[in-house]
Amino acid sequence: MNVLTKFSLYVQGRFGRHRLRRFLLGSIPFVFLLTLWQMNTTFEWLAPVFIPSIGGVIDAIFVLQSDCSGLVGVLSLDNSCLMTTHILSSIGRVLLAAIIGIPLGIIFGILAGMNRLVSSVLEPVGIFANSISGIAWVPLAIVWFGVGSLTTLFIMLNTVFWLMFFNAMLGTRGIAKVYEQSVLTMGGNRWNIVIQVYLPGAMPSIITGMRMSLGFGWRALIAAEMIGGDSGLGFMIFTAAEEFNVEQVFLGVIVISIIYLVTDHYLLGPLEKWTTHRWGLTWKPT
Amino acid sequence: MTAKLIVQGLSHHYPDEYTGVSVHALEDINLEVNDGEFVAVVGPSGCGKTTLLNILAGLLPYRHGTATVDSKIIDGPGPDRGVVFQEHAILPWRTVAGNIGHGLELQKVSRQERRDRVAEFIEMVGLVGFEDSYPHELSGGMKQRCAVARTLCADPEIMSMDEPFAAVDAQTRITLQEELIRIAIATKKTILFITHAVDEAAFLGDRCFVFSRRPGRLRETVQINIPREERNWQDIAANPEFVRARDRILSLVREEVVADE
Amino acid sequence: MSDSLNRFLAFWRHFSGAKVINLALIIAGLLGAWALISGSIDNPGRYLPSPLAVAASSVDMLYKGLLPSYFGDTISRLVIGSLIGLGLGIPFGLLLGLNRTVSDIFFPIMNFFQSVSGIAIFPIVVIWWGNSDKTVLAVILYTCFFPVAFNVLSGVREVPLRYIHSAYTLGASKFQVIRDVLAPGALPHIATGSRLGIGFASRAVIADEMLAGREGLGWMIFTGQDADMTSQVILGMLMIGLTWIVLDHYLLRPLEADTIERWGLVHR
Repeated sequence: MNVLTKFSLYVQGRFGRHRLRRFLLGSIPFVFLLTLWQMNTTFEWLAPVFIPSIGGVIDAIFVLQSDCSGLVGVLSLDNSCLMTTHILSSIGRVLLAAIIGIPLGIIFGILAGMNRLVSSVLEPVGIFANSISGIAWVPLAIVWFGVGSLTTLFIMLNTVFWLMFFNAMLGTRGIAKVYEQSVLTMGGNRWNIVIQVYLPGAMPSIITGMRMSLGFGWRALIAAEMIGGDSGLGFMIFTAAEEFNVEQVFLGVIVISIIYLVTDHYLLGPLEKWTTHRWGLTWKPT
Repeated sequence: MTAKLIVQGLSHHYPDEYTGVSVHALEDINLEVNDGEFVAVVGPSGCGKTTLLNILAGLLPYRHGTATVDSKIIDGPGPDRGVVFQEHAILPWRTVAGNIGHGLELQKVSRQERRDRVAEFIEMVGLVGFEDSYPHELSGGMKQRCAVARTLCADPEIMSMDEPFAAVDAQTRITLQEELIRIAIATKKTILFITHAVDEAAFLGDRCFVFSRRPGRLRETVQINIPREERNWQDIAANPEFVRARDRILSLVREEVVADE
Repeated sequence: MSDSLNRFLAFWRHFSGAKVINLALIIAGLLGAWALISGSIDNPGRYLPSPLAVAASSVDMLYKGLLPSYFGDTISRLVIGSLIGLGLGIPFGLLLGLNRTVSDIFFPIMNFFQSVSGIAIFPIVVIWWGNSDKTVLAVILYTCFFPVAFNVLSGVREVPLRYIHSAYTLGASKFQVIRDVLAPGALPHIATGSRLGIGFASRAVIADEMLAGREGLGWMIFTGQDADMTSQVILGMLMIGLTWIVLDHYLLRPLEADTIERWGLVHR
């Protein structure tokens, strides 16, 4: 066997022949699109203002970071380090909304799942709040909080909270009463039940909810930043569009997508699969 | 008179999915099936029975050797070679009647004629009263009956069956086997029946091809000279010809299985 | 006397089991809470107009014919965009699913575009076509197409191979296989994908109207905030919410559930 065959077999063994094949096949459209993109610039099919050159998009990174004074500037969200400032602002809001919204949503959701009275009040509110999509809240939020961080944070928080609430509630409801009963008959109190039955039992739904709410929340955040924000990736691409700075727009869109895809595919997705797989539970709310 | 199905020099390899090493499934198969014959195919696991079936059905392209039905080279699936799959493949979104008539529908047969032919086969497989039922309302045995009716209704030249009764309980299996004999008598179809169960092979087949372990070769052809009318489970157990044939097949298969260990 | 009281209590108990009564009570309670909060803050006109103020505003807008007109604009964009999105997405997904290799090729890129939300695409399209109806429609189309096509593709990939094989052995052509096996087999996924696509599209409509300044419900709430007419904002939000609830709970979800349960297919 020559080197090439050895290497090929090694790669196949390491990743699995099927996965390799799917990876190679699946990357064909991407390669194709990238090639088209470059050809567009090289052969000047559409004017650069419609489709920028790949080089131009990459250059935009440096343009935005041009006056950046190093790590200090980055961390202090200095306006001269625009690219990193925008990225960090958006991500910061995501983290904040997650830290506040997820636990709150879980708590209220489990409560609502356990208690008919609580759910009969909160559930209709939630359904209604959810159906007024995150974006539609923006003008009201601007009235309350003005244009800026608070508004964008509120929008994401709103989205995350209600989605977590529903998922936690449905997950809790789906747990068979018999588990609660068995804990009670073993001498457990109400608190034991919450921690040992409902929380773990609803965990698959909760994890799914986390994944969904962060996904929806991220999209809502970007939109909110576009309409009512003063910083962040959404704000960046919107203002860039107004200035016809198409390189920056493309850059922003790509960064937004990458952040979402990487987080979802490598963090949240596996987390979800791991929990549902581990406990053999495949209950999935809508 | 030329045989219905002629296979000459058929060999087949396929690449293993995980190691990339190629698996030698079949080696130099030569066999013939005559019109109206019921032939069973038996062999240890991995002997290539299903590969053979897929090739004959036209679902698997082959490169070495020839396979012809009525002197036409097999090249892709078609209604002339019907298949009854192991796990039922009747469509869940069609009624029993809809499934059975599917082949005719695809051939653009008129609705009236379709209705008549479907009714004929519904009666033949004993599903009267279930014409408008959906598959999820049927038992496993009934689903397979529907599958058999569907394949027959399309009037194939040869019908291949891939362990169709494997997933059915023992009682139902006996009933289905006897019904299949009745159907073979009534329709005079050429049938190729793949199975693991030696008993079943001896019960059903006029002849039985015994395959070796991988790579699958045609080890021996065992004749089973029992008239179809006499094939029912009550009487056959005592029939010396049945016992002889079954024991022969069994010892051949055992040899192949043991040799593998 | 106690007899009629008992009868009354039984009647009440029976009735309060009825979900509608419960819901009506809850809504009344929430409206009351709303009115209370509104009455107790400074400058309610700006921050939280009372339910009555919002009602008055809606009467006013109905009278001027504005409300129906905005509603119509939004709905027509949603319907047109969704129809085209479904009309393109479903066949696309079905065709791609016919061949395993082809669907393997397109699966990741479809997944990718499904995650690049319509909103993020908006600034790009705006550079091309400006703040026009064309832009809004294009973004709605994009938002609807990918979830639909992706879900249909997934659904087709899940159709058991033996169904496809058996159709071929009955003499089906490729088109007949799509029609008789792939389309019905993927129907639950088609239904789910359509619901998702329309859902995404409806969110996108509102956002796009706000961003592109095209008339409609989204625009209505955006300009309401701008002109300090908060009751208009709240009115618009209520309308959006109600429309979606009606659309989703009474149309899309029942259709989807009916499709999934019809043939005993369990796809969840």
